Amino acid sequence: MKARSHFKGKKVFEHLKEARKKGQKATEESHGIETPGHIIGGADAAKELVTSALLIWVIGNTLGLLQRQIFLLFSLFCFGFLLWKVGRSAVLAWSRIERVNRLIEEEKYEIEHNREEEKAELKEMYVAKGFSGELLNTVVDVLMADDNKLLGVMLEEELGVSLETFDHPLKQALGAGIGVFLAAISLALGVKLFALPGLFIAGFLVIFAASYVIAFIEKIAFVHYIVWNLSITFLAVFGTLFITRFILFEGL
Amino acid sequence: MKKKYTSPYALDEYFASGYEESENPFIKEGSRPWGKHVALLSAVSAAIFLLFAYIAKFYSFNIESFFLVLVYFLAGTPSLIVSLKNLQKLNVNIQVLMTLGALLSVLIGSQLEGGLLLVLFALSEALEESVAKKTKGALNALHKIAPTTAYVINDTDNTVHAKSVREIELDTKILVKAGEIIPLDGLVIEGSSFVNLAHLTGESVPIAKKVGNEVQAGSLNTDGTLTISVTKTSAESTLAKIIQLITEAHEAKPQIQKILDRFGRRYATTVILLAFNFALFLPFIFPSIPFIGNEGSIYRALAFLIAASPCALIIATPTAYLSAISACARKGVLLKGGIVLDALAKCKKLGFDKTGTLTTGKLTCSSVDIDGNTMNLEEGIAIAAGLERAVVHPIAEAVLKYAQEKKINQVAITDMKVIPGHGVEGYVTISENRNYAVIGNVDFILEKISDPSRVKSIINMVKRAGHVVTLLLVNDTVLIFHFLDELRRDVKTVIKDLEKEIEVAMLTGDHVENANYVAKTLGIKEIYSDLKPQDKLRIVNDLAEKYPLVMVGDGINDAPALTRAMVGIAMGEIGSATAINAADIVLLRDDLSTLSWLIKKSKKTISIVKQNLTLSISIIILNALFSILGFIPLWLAVILHEGSTVAVGLNSMRLLRK
Repeated sequence: MKARSHFKGKKVFEHLKEARKKGQKATEESHGIETPGHIIGGADAAKELVTSALLIWVIGNTLGLLQRQIFLLFSLFCFGFLLWKVGRSAVLAWSRIERVNRLIEEEKYEIEHNREEEKAELKEMYVAKGFSGELLNTVVDVLMADDNKLLGVMLEEELGVSLETFDHPLKQALGAGIGVFLAAISLALGVKLFALPGLFIAGFLVIFAASYVIAFIEKIAFVHYIVWNLSITFLAVFGTLFITRFILFEGL
Repeated sequence: MKKKYTSPYALDEYFASGYEESENPFIKEGSRPWGKHVALLSAVSAAIFLLFAYIAKFYSFNIESFFLVLVYFLAGTPSLIVSLKNLQKLNVNIQVLMTLGALLSVLIGSQLEGGLLLVLFALSEALEESVAKKTKGALNALHKIAPTTAYVINDTDNTVHAKSVREIELDTKILVKAGEIIPLDGLVIEGSSFVNLAHLTGESVPIAKKVGNEVQAGSLNTDGTLTISVTKTSAESTLAKIIQLITEAHEAKPQIQKILDRFGRRYATTVILLAFNFALFLPFIFPSIPFIGNEGSIYRALAFLIAASPCALIIATPTAYLSAISACARKGVLLKGGIVLDALAKCKKLGFDKTGTLTTGKLTCSSVDIDGNTMNLEEGIAIAAGLERAVVHPIAEAVLKYAQEKKINQVAITDMKVIPGHGVEGYVTISENRNYAVIGNVDFILEKISDPSRVKSIINMVKRAGHVVTLLLVNDTVLIFHFLDELRRDVKTVIKDLEKEIEVAMLTGDHVENANYVAKTLGIKEIYSDLKPQDKLRIVNDLAEKYPLVMVGDGINDAPALTRAMVGIAMGEIGSATAINAADIVLLRDDLSTLSWLIKKSKKTISIVKQNLTLSISIIILNALFSILGFIPLWLAVILHEGSTVAVGLNSMRLLRK
């Protein structure tokens, strides 16, 4: 009866698959995805700001707004975006920690109250890893001997939650804030120095640098990652530009 | 039915596919098909957007530009990435030329032509990729089936645990359940089952395996559970040797391809420099030509840059050879690279080893004659069976089988001794008398007979009928055993077909009468008989000096001859690593008719390579010349250039047909 309620009428491997999914969800953002880590968070925020700012600029320009009006609009947007990005990063990171805490408590409860079912899960996991016979029983017994060790194993293996993965929410938020700030300053400087071409040059450089940082930390192929990021911005900005111009001047 | 878990070989399959998204085990199984043909879909989408851009050109500049943004995003980004990676390695190649051409088109206001160039280039790349994937299909399929773990049985407590095949030593006992691929070559020591070699040879008829039979890595155990004693390590297994051979085949480049590769690097840089010079100096040399505009030097230089790019030339040879190699693999023919096809097409003479190649090598005892009266025929057969019991040899097997069929029991032999290369001797008790008995080859036994004339005349008669002879001598009575070496199925038709393509000769260690009989039956005119192994090698040497020679043998006994010939073809039962090492070509299926198909395929490959080279070189010269003279506009230069690339790719794909 106890086993039935623990596995909810499912087979052990199905239960394990579901648990892994639950663990994965707990470590994701509930309102969007943000890679944990303050530097990557900052670089990502910088890229987002550049694309949004360029869109504001090309739409404003096509609408015939004056340069200083567009600059004001851009500055206000950057200010709002900075506040939103900092707050959002912190809240998302705290929510993630809370969800992981809840998972740990649930797993701890299971270990204390449903030992037989936990043992069955552990066995299934190690059978899938290629253990069998006496060796399998020995491994399971050793892991079951210490509740703390067992909790660590179940968190990592069953739920896919690794220890020491996340930055503190405040550090993460600060990273995002700095990313937005630096990107905004670079764009403003570009416009001030070389007008519209300066905006595009600065945008290009910020996306290039931010993509480079992410590719470096995540060990992704540089050229590939940087060119795709620049291409996506090119697509978004110029696609919007031509559609806006068509709507305003030729079409509707 | 939904799978319980992802396949245990999922990661291996992923690596073997070259990190194909459609094989990525980290992606949910249901959404993996989204990763199939992404490059092609992207190129096709870009082509559709280009068409929209062309239509929109007549109505709205902004809509045309919007579609061109999509075209440059879909077709330009991958091209730019590859170009930058090449430039990082200081490699100025065709990809760099194309990307540069497209970007320069935007600068001179010919965005549509630049888009066309990118789209056609992306389409031809996708086509090339699909040819490459198809040609690597055989290799991937083998990697897919090559298990990385085996279930080892522990002798002390009979438990089973998984172990990497790389760490399994000889004589280890492993367990293979129904539905699993046999991970290592071995000998069945327990259980029985049907195994299927379809993955390795394409032959799908299951073969029964029981205790004492050999099984090969890569075979599929279809029903029963087998316990196997490992006889070859993973590095030496049949499957590993086949994978190694196919990998070498993809990497070994024919001479023409090596030359084109070397030439390609210098050529691209030269074209860029020439285009730059044309753009800069044409107006000075010909004052009527301006710098800009559709008649201008920059426009002409750009058209020249695209027209002179050697896309078609570069894919002309590899696509043809790889397609042919792939078709061969699907037909159960493994070859060590396109270079072998080149050599095979040049061969003028084909030498066959008789036993095991033209014939099955399995002897059957057709009849027995007796000369003498110290015993009857049945007693003689019983003694022969008793002597042959201790020997593993096709003749011994045939004698034992004959005795079994005639329901004659073996007689006990004492002091039995095997005389290698000659026969077996021992003592047999007949009517309480101990008698010396010996069975063996003709020369060996005739030496022991006081008056061999009568026996000799019987032997000559038997040999003229194409039979192999073995003699048994007990006291003064001689038994003459007639054996028939069965010809392979349809071999006569095969020889007839082959002779249309190449001269055929037969080499054999058999006596001249038997060789003549077989050659006459098959219609072979050139025969070399009574050859000892060293004689065979000498004849092959002599022939190879006179003609480009292809030698066909079973790959085990003829390894030196196969190595000496220009092209060595091994055929016979799969599982001989020696054959795979010695030969240039291995026929995995026991089917001689593949030979004439293979020779035709090699000639067709050379012919298609020549067609591809002629087409690509002609188009490049004409297109480049007329572009710089201003007769060919940019859009036509792009279409001719990419059209020839696609034509060459499609022409090569004709070789994929089996």
